Amino acid sequence: MKRIYLDYAATTPVDPRVSKTMEPFLSENFGNTMSLHSFGQEAKIVLEESREKLAGVINANPNEIIFTSSATESNNLALKGSALASKKGHIIISSIEHHCVVESAKWLAKNGFEITEISVDKFGKVNPEDIKKAITEKTILVSVIHASNEIGTIQPITEIGKICKEKNVLFHTDASQSFGKILIDVKKMNIDLLTASSHKIYGPKGAGLLYIREGINIAPLLHGGGQENGLRSSTVNVGAIAGFAAAAEIYKKEGKKENQKLIKLRDKLIKELLKIKGSHLNGDPKKRLPNNVNVRFDFVEGESLVIQLDMHGIACSTGSACSSATLEPSHVLLATGLKPEQAHGSLRITLGRWTTEKDINYLLKVLPKIVKKIREISPFK
Amino acid sequence: MKNGINKKAVVAMSGGVDSSVAAALLKRSGFDVAGVFIKFWKDGKSAENSCCSVESEKMARLVAKKIGIPFYVINAEKEFKKKVVDYFLSEYKKGNTPNPCVVCNKEIKFGILIEKALKMGADYIATGHYARISSLSLRGRSEATDEAIQSYRLPRRPYRIFDLRAPRNDIYFKLHKGKDKEKDQSYFLWQLRQNQLKHVLFPVGNYTKPEVRELAEKFDLPSAETPESQEVCFVQNSTNEFLKKYLKTKPGKIIELKDVRHPAGRRTSPKAFGQHQGLHFYTIGQRKGLEIPQGPWYVVAKDFKNNNLIVSKDEKDLMQKELIAKNVNWISGKELKLPIKIEVKIRYRSNLADAVLYSKYTLNSAGAKIRVYKIVFDKPQKAVTSGQSVVFYKGKELLGGGVIFYRVKRV
Repeated sequence: MKRIYLDYAATTPVDPRVSKTMEPFLSENFGNTMSLHSFGQEAKIVLEESREKLAGVINANPNEIIFTSSATESNNLALKGSALASKKGHIIISSIEHHCVVESAKWLAKNGFEITEISVDKFGKVNPEDIKKAITEKTILVSVIHASNEIGTIQPITEIGKICKEKNVLFHTDASQSFGKILIDVKKMNIDLLTASSHKIYGPKGAGLLYIREGINIAPLLHGGGQENGLRSSTVNVGAIAGFAAAAEIYKKEGKKENQKLIKLRDKLIKELLKIKGSHLNGDPKKRLPNNVNVRFDFVEGESLVIQLDMHGIACSTGSACSSATLEPSHVLLATGLKPEQAHGSLRITLGRWTTEKDINYLLKVLPKIVKKIREISPFK
Repeated sequence: MKNGINKKAVVAMSGGVDSSVAAALLKRSGFDVAGVFIKFWKDGKSAENSCCSVESEKMARLVAKKIGIPFYVINAEKEFKKKVVDYFLSEYKKGNTPNPCVVCNKEIKFGILIEKALKMGADYIATGHYARISSLSLRGRSEATDEAIQSYRLPRRPYRIFDLRAPRNDIYFKLHKGKDKEKDQSYFLWQLRQNQLKHVLFPVGNYTKPEVRELAEKFDLPSAETPESQEVCFVQNSTNEFLKKYLKTKPGKIIELKDVRHPAGRRTSPKAFGQHQGLHFYTIGQRKGLEIPQGPWYVVAKDFKNNNLIVSKDEKDLMQKELIAKNVNWISGKELKLPIKIEVKIRYRSNLADAVLYSKYTLNSAGAKIRVYKIVFDKPQKAVTSGQSVVFYKGKELLGGGVIFYRVKRV
């Protein structure tokens, strides 16, 4: 059976051009960036070139980029690192953050920090005014996800950044889903800390970054050899980082054209899916990621849809891949005001570089039939 | 759906040998097969998102890969906790000894899972139970009668799973014991209903356990040597430890039966000659672990009102002539003409006993008239325990069953 991958928000395959870049780092250019000899020097050069390339994507200075192993690590470092650096205080997050931000905040709450969660509207959007109101004298950090991994809604982070700057509060954004795909300028957008991930943009797993604006003091979580300016001790994963940079470069060159294609496919998919009776779009109809479709169907569980689609060779998900193993309804969908049963009925379809119109047509041929069939069985008792 | 049979079956795979062979048999019979692993609730999970049964899940996934079928994990922790574990505890609280497997079959495996399987596009759900199902046309012409069960015997090659019982409304289904008398698990299935049975397949029901193990080796399944599952699946160590953790238990007096049954109804305060650890920890018929001298003693009753454990030296005091059953389910969906001579099983591991089943009216605690069933044994039975299932058989066929409500009339 031919398989169609429509879960690009969970992870992406490595672009063959990226794999090619990475090839030498297994056995040729394998040096440790901290070594003095030529092997080390060669690795160090690649590391710093990669840093430069990635800094360029978001208009940052290379010395403001810290490499980590993942977006989860970057988010942990951003929240816990800035909290620990100021010892106590108040942190504001939105109600639709990724689990790694939510859980880091919960851990900080257990350890004496005060946490406020800002609610969102029915499209999943944060109102910057709400953040303004929530900031107190004790507030040290505001963290708002740039684009939702589940419903694709893009947040007004320029406005939020501006407010944080006025109030002299740090602003962190988790840009795991948007980095490389949507234009980000950390200076214009007043971003102090930014998380990005390699495996969401056709780079390898095992590489992430945290942008830390120059002059900001955060405490490290990993102590040891003092790599990455002492902020992230650990032997640097040069190959993965080189791949990350190569992936970002491709996006820089081809992103505009790719987005146009994705938006066209996305809008066609949304338009056609909403023709199914009792279907609804989750997230903002306009301000959303070019590759994100999130819909729900009355009286249909997303889990059944995902499994049936998988049996037809189509891979998508109910929401965040990280939470698909639990039964809890998505906290993001609940935050947009959905009831638990509506949240359970949601399906996330995320498109990517190798998605074709034919794939979309196949999905559109299969999905309505599945929905109809599940609804026929639905009142089973 | 590219094969001859054109039917899709979802197999509940536990990682054990029975459900593994069930999946392999279906696949070899030409079904379109998918495996699912159901995550149950388990006591004492160390961290969130970590599951008790990581090993079993891994094994089930390996087996699915070996057979070449898609595999999905379904999380039913919440439902399992609510419907099975909470029921288990509430029954113990009431002084009963429940059968959690019966409830799990009804609510989870043949409840939620059937629903999910149908929504996955399946026609059938299959499990590794040692039991058999046959179908009967209501239009007079018998499609597959009891005798025909014999013909379900799978020929050695090719592997065929009995008839394809079309889920039609003019057919009804019968439930039978498994071929393997030792392993027969029909006892746990008495709560199934027609609308469940029409979607159920028991591929190993026509095999004996040794045959199943043989097949597992022959199919080269990684689970061929998994040990038999024991105990209640969701407790961490022992049932008693589990009960200690979740129920308030109060130590009390151990009293001899003859002191309770005082002649002429005079009430004297019965002599305590030992201490029990809490009534929940004892089962009717229990002999070991009483820690009172001059034994052996048998637990013959639990007096929850006074928190006394009643014991006797005479094994005869354990014998019962009758019992009352409630929550009766008839597999056929219709009550048989009563009274009826049947064979009953009062515990999974007890022998079949000849008995007569009567219908009876009684008053419930609110004073309302309710209908119950009385079972009178031909020969008195030992250690009839409230909360356990009493299952009705006629030959190989399972007619129905109920829950033992209370015991009546000592011999």
